[in-house]
Amino acid sequence: MKPEDIGKQSKRMVRISPEDLIPLPYPYDTAYDEPPFKELTKEQTEKYDSSLDGFLAIGIPKPATKEEEDALVEKFLSGLEKLLTKENNWTFLQPLFHSLEYCVKCQICNDSCPAYIASGKKEIYRPTYRPEVLRKIIEKYIKKKGRFSSFMTGSNIELNWTLLSRLAELAYRCTLCRKCAQVCPLGVDNGLISREIRKIFSQELGIAPKELHELGTIQQLKTGSSTGITPKALSNIISFMEDEIEEIAGKRIKIPVDKKGAEILLLHNAGEFIAWPENTEAFAVIFDAAGIDWTLSSEIVGYDAVNYGVWYDDIQLARIATRHAEVAKKLKVKKINVGECGHAHKAMIVIADRVLTGNLNVPRESALPLLEEIVCSGRIRLDPSRNDFPVTLHDPCNMVRLMGIVEPQRNILRKICPQFREMDPHGVENYCCGGGSGFAIMQSMNFPDWRSAVSGRMKLKQILEVFQDVISPDNKKYVCAPCSNCKGQIRELFNYYDVNQKCGIFYGGLVELIANAMTDLKRPFIEWEWH
Amino acid sequence: MDIFLAVFTYFAYIFIIVMYTVKAVKYIRMPTHLRWELYSATGKGEHFQNASCFEGTDRKDVHRKYTLQRLLFLLKEYFTLSEYYKRHTSYWLFLYLWHIGFILIITFHIFCFFGAVTMLFDITISSASSNVSGIVLYFAIFFTGVISFITGALGSTGLLVKRVVDKDLSLYASPLNYFSYAFTLAVFLSGLYAWFFVDPMLSEYRAFWKGLITLNYIHVKPGAAVHIVLFNLFLIYLPFTRSMHYITRFFAFFLIRWDDEPNLRGSELEKKLQELLDQKITWSAPHIKSGRTWREQ
Repeated sequence: MKPEDIGKQSKRMVRISPEDLIPLPYPYDTAYDEPPFKELTKEQTEKYDSSLDGFLAIGIPKPATKEEEDALVEKFLSGLEKLLTKENNWTFLQPLFHSLEYCVKCQICNDSCPAYIASGKKEIYRPTYRPEVLRKIIEKYIKKKGRFSSFMTGSNIELNWTLLSRLAELAYRCTLCRKCAQVCPLGVDNGLISREIRKIFSQELGIAPKELHELGTIQQLKTGSSTGITPKALSNIISFMEDEIEEIAGKRIKIPVDKKGAEILLLHNAGEFIAWPENTEAFAVIFDAAGIDWTLSSEIVGYDAVNYGVWYDDIQLARIATRHAEVAKKLKVKKINVGECGHAHKAMIVIADRVLTGNLNVPRESALPLLEEIVCSGRIRLDPSRNDFPVTLHDPCNMVRLMGIVEPQRNILRKICPQFREMDPHGVENYCCGGGSGFAIMQSMNFPDWRSAVSGRMKLKQILEVFQDVISPDNKKYVCAPCSNCKGQIRELFNYYDVNQKCGIFYGGLVELIANAMTDLKRPFIEWEWH
Repeated sequence: MDIFLAVFTYFAYIFIIVMYTVKAVKYIRMPTHLRWELYSATGKGEHFQNASCFEGTDRKDVHRKYTLQRLLFLLKEYFTLSEYYKRHTSYWLFLYLWHIGFILIITFHIFCFFGAVTMLFDITISSASSNVSGIVLYFAIFFTGVISFITGALGSTGLLVKRVVDKDLSLYASPLNYFSYAFTLAVFLSGLYAWFFVDPMLSEYRAFWKGLITLNYIHVKPGAAVHIVLFNLFLIYLPFTRSMHYITRFFAFFLIRWDDEPNLRGSELEKKLQELLDQKITWSAPHIKSGRTWREQ
């Protein structure tokens, strides 16, 4: 199957069956039957084009007429032209230009892609496949090369609605983990090209997964959070958290909200408040014990660190980053500290650095070095024997490969977890959890099956491998994932394969382990209840 | 013919220098982009690749530059192609030969130039020269030339075959890829032919270069002339290929992968960014509200 085949009519480009997937270690080896993939309903297949691989992450309604199809193609081309100009895409033009121009298609990046490998090397998931499709479109429709030149460069692609719908879906089969970019000796970044394709669809055609756009950035800017939490709801959640902390710690801790002039504005992924309140509670317990001068914000956008724009839309990215900075400025805090959320780290600390100018450029840091300082300086009393169970660390791509925050979390775990063990590979060479670039929150139709069985498979394999010597469900084990989206993905992955029941593996954040080791708490912080 | 060969050679060299300069300037002058760095593990223990300014609690203080170490790293990779060796050894073997061929053929021409300059001072370039520089240049020209012709020919052939038989590579190969291998094979084979059958001591090349410098063009035997013409065509062809990755990979690593320059208040970078951020957006999706600036909602 060649890149130009993406525009050719066929019922389905690729059919994935569970037998094609790479094998998993015990207890998912020979005796285990892989769950069958959920098939799309008749209505769904009639309404949407699922001819890429039978899964739908976006689900673009089929155009009713040829005119509608042509209009979409025209609009895509107009977006593609904009993508290649400095006026419209100064934000990523140079990296994009480099990756489009200088890939020699040596394919040495292939084996670094977890989705490509896990799928049994399905051609369409090859890291070089979608960039090559885009290059061919550019050669033929933007540069408008002549017949001979097109023949020589192999730009024989037909741009039509089928191609567009497949390309849009295909841009959401890459988690933007950028492991492929990391191994490229020429500095080509195929992950970036996936993101740029997403941008054309979002910024020009208004097409993006509902969870990222409508329920994501749009909702966040309007109501305050992509979770739908309003400032009033936040207030109730904080009271609930204080009650829970009182039960565990044996004393009531007042969680500071909107404290003007505080040293630190702590920004959590608001998903934590709903799905893992123990994470935000652990932060409060640790900061209180360490005497940190901190606050949360109750301003719209100010209590949700997420910035889904980083995955698909530069304008939404800039708008949310600006709101975060405005909230910090209004509170007159000295710095923003980002909690356990990988993409928020990358978006707010790194990418926003070139969006925020003047007094909006509030210092922004990761919470991990601060936690390392608290733990390693002895500011709080810790007993590592409370964490005497096997622990492994998942490296969120955004924090580790994309920001180089490698050691702080490890120094903490070495200090408080006697049975800490590393996955292979780890650190900047880690594999993505499979939920990166928004996948963890995308629940469209049968996409969650693909996410668990394909994009998350390498991570599951790594987790099972690292715990093989203690794989019995009677041994409680802990995957430390200091990132909300990674945790969401690991939860879905474990549910899909019933990992907790079969292997006794739990997951959680880093601060939960720190709080669990704190001797001042009335009872253990980690409850070992699957939820 | 003698004049044609000389003029064509001047043209080829001027053309590639101008084209590469234009392309390099175009690349470098692209607007400042958002930060998109990577903390690579290409070389374990190479601290400068993983030296993150985000592992501390005051990032501005720990922002460091590792220009020299990074340059050395890229140069080392440039001469070893170690990532290819690690990940695709059979491909690396031919790629390495091919690249050695390129590096040496360029070095060969540089030595030819210096050989010609040396000859202007009445120093003989030969193994029996009374001047040590004459001996050194003789062997340098000889070995770089001969080794480049052999390794380049082997590399071109190997890569051509590899692109055809390796499914991963052939699926993405265009006619232009095959043409490039065949063309470079012709360049190296013509050099090999000229050396073996026409000019075993490579004295024709030295004399040709002396003629280029003194504007006193000499007659070159047809076998050597064919190689000179093909090499000139190759120089003219290079700017139209992806070959500039020799240079752009330095840009990509320094300007993108390792670009962690913080946007400090009052800095030049901030001024540039402010101008870019004040531009009106023209994207037309409904949520964009075309005509507003980047940060306006």
